[in-house]
Amino acid sequence: MIGRVPAFRAVVLVKPLPSVLGFLFSAWLACSAIAAGAARLTIAKAILTEDDTPKRALVAGLAGEGDEDVPALLAAWRSDQLFIHAAADGAKVPVQLIGPKDAAEAQEALRVDTGEPLRDASGKPLRLVAADLTAVEHDAALRRAMKSVLDVAEIAARDPAKRRQAIQAIGFAQNADKLPALEARLAIEREPKVRLALREALAVIRLKDSSDDAKLAALRELRELEALSSYDLIQAALKNAGAAGQKEIAAACRATLAAIDRHRSSVDFFGTLFRSASLGSILLIVALGLAITFGLMGVINMAHGEMIAVGAYTTYLTQSVFGGGVTIPCFGLSLAIPGMHLGGWVYQAYFLAAIPASFLAAALVGIGLERGIIRFLYRRPLESLLATWGVSLLLQQTFRLTFGANNVQVSSPAYLSGNWTVNDIILGWNRVFVIGFALLIVFGVWLVLTRTPLGLLIRAVMQNRTMAACMGVRTERVNMLTFGLGSGLAGLAGAFLSQIGNVGPSLGQSYIVDAFMTVVVGGVGNLMGTVISAFGIGGLDQVLQQYLPTWAPGLAGFPLIGSFLQNLAQDSSVFGKILVLALIVLFLQWRPAGLFVTRSRSLD
Amino acid sequence: MPHPLLSVEDVSKTYDGFKAISNLTFYLYEGELRTVIGPNGAGKSTFFDLITGRAQPDKGKIDFGSATARSHDLTSLSEYEINRLGIGRKFQTPSVYSEHSVWENLVLSLRGPRGIFASLFHRLSSTERDRLDDLLKLIRLDAKREWKAGLLAHGEKQWLEIGMLLAQDPKVLLVDEPAAGMTDEETHRTGELLLSLAGRHSLIVVEHDMTFVRQIAREGQVTVLHQGSVLCEGKFDEVQSNPKVREVYLGRGKQ
Amino acid sequence: MTTLAPPHLSPTRRRIEFIVVAIFAFLALVVFPLLNSAGVISHFTLNLWGKYLCYALLAISVDLLWGYTGLLSLGQALFFALGGYMHGMYLMRMIGDLGQHRKPIPDFLVFLGWTELPDFWKPFSNFPFALTMAFLLPGLIAYVFGFLAFRSRIKGVYFSILTQALTYGTSLMFFRNNLLMGGNNGFTDFKFLLGYDLLAPATQRGLFMATAATLLAVYVGCRWLSGTKFGLVQRAIRDGENRVLFSGYSTPQYKLFIFVVAAAIAAAGGVLYVPQVGIINPSEMTPDKSLEAVVWCAVGGRGTLVGPILGAISINALKSYATRAFPDLWLLILGGLFIVMVLFLPGGLVSIPARAKAMWLKIRPARPRLELPTTTPTASAAAER
Repeated sequence: MIGRVPAFRAVVLVKPLPSVLGFLFSAWLACSAIAAGAARLTIAKAILTEDDTPKRALVAGLAGEGDEDVPALLAAWRSDQLFIHAAADGAKVPVQLIGPKDAAEAQEALRVDTGEPLRDASGKPLRLVAADLTAVEHDAALRRAMKSVLDVAEIAARDPAKRRQAIQAIGFAQNADKLPALEARLAIEREPKVRLALREALAVIRLKDSSDDAKLAALRELRELEALSSYDLIQAALKNAGAAGQKEIAAACRATLAAIDRHRSSVDFFGTLFRSASLGSILLIVALGLAITFGLMGVINMAHGEMIAVGAYTTYLTQSVFGGGVTIPCFGLSLAIPGMHLGGWVYQAYFLAAIPASFLAAALVGIGLERGIIRFLYRRPLESLLATWGVSLLLQQTFRLTFGANNVQVSSPAYLSGNWTVNDIILGWNRVFVIGFALLIVFGVWLVLTRTPLGLLIRAVMQNRTMAACMGVRTERVNMLTFGLGSGLAGLAGAFLSQIGNVGPSLGQSYIVDAFMTVVVGGVGNLMGTVISAFGIGGLDQVLQQYLPTWAPGLAGFPLIGSFLQNLAQDSSVFGKILVLALIVLFLQWRPAGLFVTRSRSLD
Repeated sequence: MPHPLLSVEDVSKTYDGFKAISNLTFYLYEGELRTVIGPNGAGKSTFFDLITGRAQPDKGKIDFGSATARSHDLTSLSEYEINRLGIGRKFQTPSVYSEHSVWENLVLSLRGPRGIFASLFHRLSSTERDRLDDLLKLIRLDAKREWKAGLLAHGEKQWLEIGMLLAQDPKVLLVDEPAAGMTDEETHRTGELLLSLAGRHSLIVVEHDMTFVRQIAREGQVTVLHQGSVLCEGKFDEVQSNPKVREVYLGRGKQ
Repeated sequence: MTTLAPPHLSPTRRRIEFIVVAIFAFLALVVFPLLNSAGVISHFTLNLWGKYLCYALLAISVDLLWGYTGLLSLGQALFFALGGYMHGMYLMRMIGDLGQHRKPIPDFLVFLGWTELPDFWKPFSNFPFALTMAFLLPGLIAYVFGFLAFRSRIKGVYFSILTQALTYGTSLMFFRNNLLMGGNNGFTDFKFLLGYDLLAPATQRGLFMATAATLLAVYVGCRWLSGTKFGLVQRAIRDGENRVLFSGYSTPQYKLFIFVVAAAIAAAGGVLYVPQVGIINPSEMTPDKSLEAVVWCAVGGRGTLVGPILGAISINALKSYATRAFPDLWLLILGGLFIVMVLFLPGGLVSIPARAKAMWLKIRPARPRLELPTTTPTASAAAER
């Protein structure tokens, strides 16, 4: 980039007059050519213009034009893909040859002025051979004009996100030559985020300005903008100022850096908060089913994680059915599931169908498990732990045999894959969705348990099985439905986890320990406790992950194992997790029965 | 006034907003046999829980110790420490080690060191063996000493648990409904046994069966618990004629 | 909490068990090694059996807690693997500069960019130190964890879940390179033990005999323990902890003691496992491994001492066979086996003779005979003595 600057200067010095003229001309053109597609016309016109100077002026006038055809066409021009076609009536039509050459070396031809295929009199698209046509010429001066148009074309792109990206890239390059283009853009830019990016880019470029005042103004601007991404450049400026002994600028740099640091720590803080909430709601969704089967029924379902996987695989299958179908091998047979080959938003809606499907699939598996195994083990909790572990092994291996040992691809629908950036904090839509849905599910479960006849029966049976049976409650059925509900919730969790992480045979294993911890800390048999403990554990985990590395150096002081601890603390995700487990064990010293204790007065 | 062996002063205990015990004050003297009666939910079991360390009171103090011996604050001790001080408890539902033989049940209860290393290298002395034999005869399980305790009849389990309590040779015996599940004859014999223990030991007996209460409360005091506190205290006849007690028990049958 | 046959042995069963154990001890300590040196039993088979016996130690440690004390610990694989890792550190040091990188420090450290040994690795060049640590570290972890857990009366399934979490957390740590314990791959490529070439058949034979001897010693120790009053208390805790507490026994201390003892037994298994199998990696300390050990114990028969040994050997022999014959189905078999055992044969393999006898008595038109349900005089006699 820097290498090209002298060349550009040379142009300005050698041919000042035509450039100035051209600039004026182009300004006039820019005013006249506002309508969409006008850019194409301008280029076509420029191609057909014989004289160099107006030709260049026409091209230069394209600067700041938001039309996305401009960069492509100019690039085609420079790489000799534009030709002049002489029509039957003698009119000259500039065309672009694209697409593969056929046997006769002919290619598809697009009219430069409209972008439509070139047609003959009968309206049939024409195919032309490059060798038969006159290539549109370009000289060095014209190419330079094109280059300067291309340079700013990106900052005029229609898509604001692309515009921002281009502006940031220009800013980081700190090329003073781009200042006028950026300023021109700032004058007409309406999008607030792009305006911010423009201001930041301008300020960053001016850090290199020779005038101290400009530098100071730029620093003030950056300080006001709290521009995180300019941190390194400001540090560089500080170094330069220090080397040059410019005390005032150095101080301003430091103040700006301090302001950015403050901003960064607040961004970190709120980012951590968001991630905590997000992890908390994942834990909550995962643990909620367990809170019912373990908390209310007292059944230790080690296969709970596999219920989650059932939900996730159901989501995968639903997606396949909406899409191109899937063939799954099933114990030697292969089972072809036809797809509906949907596209667009209908396909994207697969996830909405997957939610109830996951719930039902997992609930059915759960009911089968309850009927087949667990009902014989209600009075033997340790045995139910072991038997369900057996089930967990069976299910995991079944997943492996049917879906393969590798992860399957679950694509996120568009409405879950974007993100918002609020004040430099990135909020992923899927995470926001999970938080919202977790709260919704908790509310739903609460409603079911407290406001429906089933809930009344569930609570009655869980409190006193025998008494409920004596009162005519069909406890067998209530057990079955309760377990189905708990498993179904695990299935829901699976549907959401498929949007956040990988879906594979051991998906459930990575969540089961956390889920149990959440329920144990919350206090068995208490939904509110589970909610609080999920967010508490999620928060603690994220805080440790965020701040452990900053504490790591302090651990070096330990004798003998100091370096070892320091090493470990930098591995914050795992070490944080272990610390959380340790803290949970300590927490249970204080409250052995969890946050909320369901006290009983019964003996033994 | 002699020094109380066990003093419970102004003790309260709340479970989830339910006041199981409220401002209870109670003294037990050396060698006394105290009978505690009260309607269901009067807090009798919670009262025992508080003394034995199973539950901690929200407020109040529980002290154990005679005029001569050092006094101990029971609220800060755990179950096994309280037991080692000499307070034994018999549960409402018989709790014996069902997979152990009757003999082993008694061996485990026998007074002696309770530490890990003591138990690793413990050998029964001949005096201990004789004592266990005597106990087996007393609780009439001599012939069933090799039976698994879980296979005994309900009344036999009650006897075994009483035997286990006696094997501990505690200063204070807390006996929760000893007569439940026993025949009239057995009940009477239990009463005789408890009466014979009084003097050497101090006892608190919780009971519902008024015939039994009349039998064992011949001389001693009867405490009536109601809604977690003492309604009245006195001789059986006084208590029986107390209008408040009659009101509480009204419609509850036996008097 | 648990319902199972009494651990006491009838006099005949006790005699049978004694004879069986004596025969097996003789086979393992004398006949097997002799046959191996004569070339009748291949080194591979001997090595495989050595591994089974190590697993039997692990199974006993599970049983001592679960079968005898009612504590289902899912942390035994952790103690096993820690014992193995500590011994593995010594073995890694003994490789010297014969590793692939020809450096005086273990290969994985070279790979991670270390040029000299980290501090905490240094003392492990000393065998007595490594061996001490192999028992001390698992014991210490068991002590601290057990102290906290038992003090706050964590029992039953909560204890299982917490030990599972402990194992899970530690295994996560060992999977990381940053721990400087070999990460994913763990330790392997051992060369020497106390100067003996690990690959030499004679060394492996010696290790096999050491394993058999350790197992025998642990068996005899546990048999003695279950006969003492301590054994009575232990089983009483399993069947009714509250009563034990109200009889003046400090159950937390008893549980802590047995938890630490069991951790040490598991660690012993790990120490012997590593040089025979030649590798130790974090997959040995996952909660699943603990559960697998619980399966061995359940299949053999918990609450007995022969059961876990029988279970560990038979399941692992089955595993060796099945993972080669039908690798895809092995986990299905294991899972299914487990469900069936829990549902239909809670007493395990060792309860089959008694069950068969009971069946036979039921089928046969028996002469009216009064069967007194008794426990054994011998077991209580042991307690008396």
